[in-house]
Amino acid sequence: MSTELKKALFNISALADLGQAITSENAFHEKIQSVFYVITGTFLANRGAILSYDKSAKKLNTLLQKGFDSADLDRVQPDELMSLGKNEPCLIGTDPVLAVSGAEILVPLWVRDEFIGALLLSGKLTVGPYTLEDLELLNVIANQIAIALNNHSLFMDLAEKLEENRRLYEEMRHIYHGTLQAFAAAIDAKDAYTQNHSHRVAKYSAAIARELGWSEHDVEGIYVAGYLHDVGKLAISNDLLNKVTPFTPEERAEIRKHSTTSHNITSKIKFPWKSVEDMVWHHHERLDGRGYPDKLANESLSDGVRILSLADSFDAMTSQRPYRKKMDVPAAIAELKKCLESQFDNKIMLVFCKVLDKEIKGELPEPDILPHLDKTSDLSVISALLGGIIVELSTPKSGV
Amino acid sequence: MKSVQFNVTSRLDGDVAVIYPKGYLNNLSGESLVIECGIYIGKGITKIVVNFSETDLINSIGISMLLQIIEDLRNIKGTICCTNMSKFLRDTFEMLGLIKHMHVFPVESDALKYLKAGKA
Ligand SMILES: [Fe+2]
Ligand SMILES: [Fe+2]
Repeated sequence: MSTELKKALFNISALADLGQAITSENAFHEKIQSVFYVITGTFLANRGAILSYDKSAKKLNTLLQKGFDSADLDRVQPDELMSLGKNEPCLIGTDPVLAVSGAEILVPLWVRDEFIGALLLSGKLTVGPYTLEDLELLNVIANQIAIALNNHSLFMDLAEKLEENRRLYEEMRHIYHGTLQAFAAAIDAKDAYTQNHSHRVAKYSAAIARELGWSEHDVEGIYVAGYLHDVGKLAISNDLLNKVTPFTPEERAEIRKHSTTSHNITSKIKFPWKSVEDMVWHHHERLDGRGYPDKLANESLSDGVRILSLADSFDAMTSQRPYRKKMDVPAAIAELKKCLESQFDNKIMLVFCKVLDKEIKGELPEPDILPHLDKTSDLSVISALLGGIIVELSTPKSGV
Repeated sequence: MKSVQFNVTSRLDGDVAVIYPKGYLNNLSGESLVIECGIYIGKGITKIVVNFSETDLINSIGISMLLQIIEDLRNIKGTICCTNMSKFLRDTFEMLGLIKHMHVFPVESDALKYLKAGKA
């Protein structure tokens, strides 16, 4: 085989090496490092550099280089290169501008009308000059590298935009939650006895939903519903809300309108979560159909409604009210248990007990319920009580 | 065809480092060859024998690695000997003109004899 043929074969295999390096699944810096080795290996160059053009800063950055002085490379002006032929290798010779970097050969990298960067080479080990054949091969290589660099920069632009969008979304979520909290504070401020009630119901509901295996998106939805469930109370007079003596039937009916008002208000908002307005509307319904406003029963009540209803009642029981003293935690749990099947759902109660038990045992990194409970509670008593209920509710009832 | 993961072993024979690359010298894992030689050069060794008995094939990336070793040795006026090369390797080095920058011997012992005779 003649030397020319061998050289031609070597060049073809170098192009194959380049293709493999570019299309590999390696990280970008590994790809470009391989590409760089292919070039220096193919031309036996002891000096080489790949520069990429930063459009916004209008300057060339050195991606990789060997043998050059970095300061020399920094002086290469992109404008000077843009007037040269696209992906056409040019012998620098004595060109004063390009000679600065000490390179023998320079290729401006382009993809269509986009200037991407430059490739510099120098110092062939075999000393001989760059041949026409070398320049032709370099032209093919330059086209490939330009595309690879351009793809990477497009990808980086996209990743940057995605990150920016994500940041904006997070900011909006933050603002959104801030607004919700302000709303909840307004609701809770109306009723001196229910301070932070909405906040706690949101926390408790989210904890139960999470334990039930809901997605984080849906957990956020019930958290919002928890915050807004009593927003309808804003339409009730302060005197009535803070009344110490028992309500008259008319007053009770007035108070009971709040869940429908909550629904009317929230249904005006286009939430990114489903069923927020349904959950707030029906948080006073009961399984036996004796709740309000629609006397819905059993299957008509979604899991979300069942969770909110239990969380709301538990917080109501463990909070001081104008007309009654607050219950201690074990008493409230016992009360919830007493109302299972008539008012509260067994499955939700089981999950509530499990999550509270886990919080007491320190199994959850960020407890949502425990921090709000009476600090004087005897946790071992509560844990024993929860343990009993968990066993009882986990055991399938034998059919009759 | 399953390519063998490239790796390098070495030993010191007097003041000569003998390097044994193993596998196809065709990707970034070949950098270990440059690093291995660099370690000996860093210790003041100027004579290196690369025994290619376990490396039949090389591509442009591998050539680039070898180029680096040749340059590193040239900078310290050192000597590189290549031995046990396959026909493909020898032909490739010859065609590229690399052969002029190295001493080629059929087997490792010949290279060691040459280097120890102090002719390098
Ligand atoms: Fe309510
Ligand atoms: Fe409530």
